[in-house]
Amino acid sequence: MTRPAAIGDTLRRAAPSLAAVRRRRADWAPLLLLLPTTISLGSVSVYPILDGLWLSLHNTTLATREDRFVGWLNYRLLATDPDFWSAWRHTLEFTAISTLAETAIGLGMALLLVERFTGRGLVRAAMLIPWAMPTVVTSKMFGWLFDGQNGLVNWVLRSLHLIGGNIDWYGSPNTALGTIIFVDVWKTTPFMALLLLAGLQTIPHSLHEAARIDGAGAWQTFWHVRLPMLVPILLIAAMFRALDAFRIFDLVYVLTGGGPADSTEVLSTLTYKTLFSALEFGYGSALSTAMFATEALIALCFGVLIVRGMRRQGR
Amino acid sequence: MSKTKPGSTATVERLPKPRPGRRAFLGGVALGGVAAFTGARGARGASRTEIAFASAKFFGKETVAQVVGMYNASQSRVHVTYIELPPPSASTEVHQLLVQQLARQSGSPDVFTQDVIWIAEFAGAGWALPLDQEFGADVRKQYFPGVIQACTWGGKLTALPWFIDSGMLYYRTDLLGSAAVPETWDELVALAQAAEKSGRARFGFLWQGKQAEVLVCDLVEFVASNGGAILGPDGRTVMIDDDKSVQAVQFMRDTIDRYKISPQDVLSWDEEPSRRPFTGGQAMFLRNWSYVYTIAQDPKASSVVGKVGVAPLPHFPGGRSAACLGGYQYGVNASTKNRDAAIDFVRWMSSPATQLHFATELGLAPTRPDVFDDPKLAQSQPFMQKLKPVFLGATPRPVTPKYAQVTLVLQSSVSRALADGNVKQALSGAKERIAAIVAS
Repeated sequence: MTRPAAIGDTLRRAAPSLAAVRRRRADWAPLLLLLPTTISLGSVSVYPILDGLWLSLHNTTLATREDRFVGWLNYRLLATDPDFWSAWRHTLEFTAISTLAETAIGLGMALLLVERFTGRGLVRAAMLIPWAMPTVVTSKMFGWLFDGQNGLVNWVLRSLHLIGGNIDWYGSPNTALGTIIFVDVWKTTPFMALLLLAGLQTIPHSLHEAARIDGAGAWQTFWHVRLPMLVPILLIAAMFRALDAFRIFDLVYVLTGGGPADSTEVLSTLTYKTLFSALEFGYGSALSTAMFATEALIALCFGVLIVRGMRRQGR
Repeated sequence: MSKTKPGSTATVERLPKPRPGRRAFLGGVALGGVAAFTGARGARGASRTEIAFASAKFFGKETVAQVVGMYNASQSRVHVTYIELPPPSASTEVHQLLVQQLARQSGSPDVFTQDVIWIAEFAGAGWALPLDQEFGADVRKQYFPGVIQACTWGGKLTALPWFIDSGMLYYRTDLLGSAAVPETWDELVALAQAAEKSGRARFGFLWQGKQAEVLVCDLVEFVASNGGAILGPDGRTVMIDDDKSVQAVQFMRDTIDRYKISPQDVLSWDEEPSRRPFTGGQAMFLRNWSYVYTIAQDPKASSVVGKVGVAPLPHFPGGRSAACLGGYQYGVNASTKNRDAAIDFVRWMSSPATQLHFATELGLAPTRPDVFDDPKLAQSQPFMQKLKPVFLGATPRPVTPKYAQVTLVLQSSVSRALADGNVKQALSGAKERIAAIVAS
């Protein structure tokens, strides 16, 4: 081997590792640039979650100045606490019914609004008003509408002879949760309708025309063309809504405060009372960790469905 | 070669006038800020001790901030900064904000106001300074004994009385006519049923049954008026499911179910929703706090102006009228760094003159019996003078540092008892849970 060739070979053999070194150094640069953002986001979102987890392993109570490490005691108490399980059931009930209702009604609204008609712009803007109103205002308004003695709803239903006497909407354990679900559906359906409208608008018009040429009616077009294409958006919107509904607080707190007879107690109100009224920060952290775990489970289920839906569409 | 015109002064190339640069601008702003800051401090003159006072928001013809301003103007030793908390209708938020400040033990706020039900809690947590030294027995005698009792925890005075409020019976003088004001619950039931039957009133008796703190207030009044109690005087014996207490709660349920003098809606009503039908002329009797009277006499808000009377609440046979004690009291932060200034301020705020001022300008009833007899009070708030006997019978809610947890259990159990009618079962469940709470 000639010397220059030897040198050339050595250099060529060294060259890949030099490039590798340069590559590795280049890999560090973007990570370093991301570090400030990661730290600031992590400190306000990840750190509190971990701190809450750590707090839930203590029996911290502000009023009695207790603060001992107790391991899983709070979770054992949680597992046998009837208040927790009834609040958990109410929250799941609320989430399931309100998400289903809002998705169904929202889909109907979106199907109407995707068609062309005079005043469509106005209707689209007006439909957002319930969602734009502050929740406290909505709560007060529906508090008066559904008032058992002097509310408008009772008066209308009685005038139409649909009910014999006044119904005590918020004072009866049988109707209180249903009334709150109704208020939430009124408030949040526009949000779902908006998301589904956006989804409907991504469906190419050529598909409708093709279906029409093939002689499909309105229902068949909906069932076989629009709905399958809408499934990913539907699932994503439903997931957003379900995760939000699980955390419902302001409606319940303002309208009934958790009563009557704990029939509208949801996990958020229970956690708030435990943390800020009873000042039991250890047990309250265990409650919020349990909420977090359930929400993660719901998100996981939806995630699986969404991924499968997208795979079926070949994306 | 440029030619200059004959007779004209030659134009000299001048450098452009330097514009103030960015650095100069920022420097000026910084100097201005420092000057303003030090200037403002300098304007206050000699160093006054600065303390902070956090109070729930009250108002009438004046605000609490104005009263604090009166103190600041009346002397030059102490300057009080007023921190406004939410109004007492949002009492959970007031509690939360106070706890967040006090738990830090940083010394701020130096003086705060505490609802009567938090006194034991804050004292037990060590956040309230004991005031026995500064306010001895002779000072304490000048206040209502019930309030002083509520301000004492563990044998030490940890709160100084501010104002008092209690539940009372409002009635329609026109519907009552010549009949006597009911003194027992049975008399009230009879009168209410008669009024409903004759159609002159839509509702006989309105009270607050919403699953909230006010339910415990109503509960205390019914139970104590039967000679029962929720918690014994030692703070550990639970008496909520004794016969007298069960009878009282059964009566609460009976007003809806058996006697039908109250609509089932009271189970979702707190103070305001229950007040409205009364001042709207639909009800004969109402149990509520003292604020209702002013609204009832306001022609813009009430249809029963001049037709409303006030009396102590009825009692069961063999019992005594009981009114639930309410009202905010002063507390001094245990970690305050300006103890003397804080005590001076609190002493002034609780003085007879200031209490009279609070009564006439903000409608907050004084906690000194002598102030009730002041002619100025008779002039501006004649109704308040009539309340002295009601306030003398004020009964506190259970006094325990764990009151926050106890009240949640009571609210849940009593609401359940009232909703489904299984009073004994619900109260026995409450007894178990409360016993577990106060024993630990």
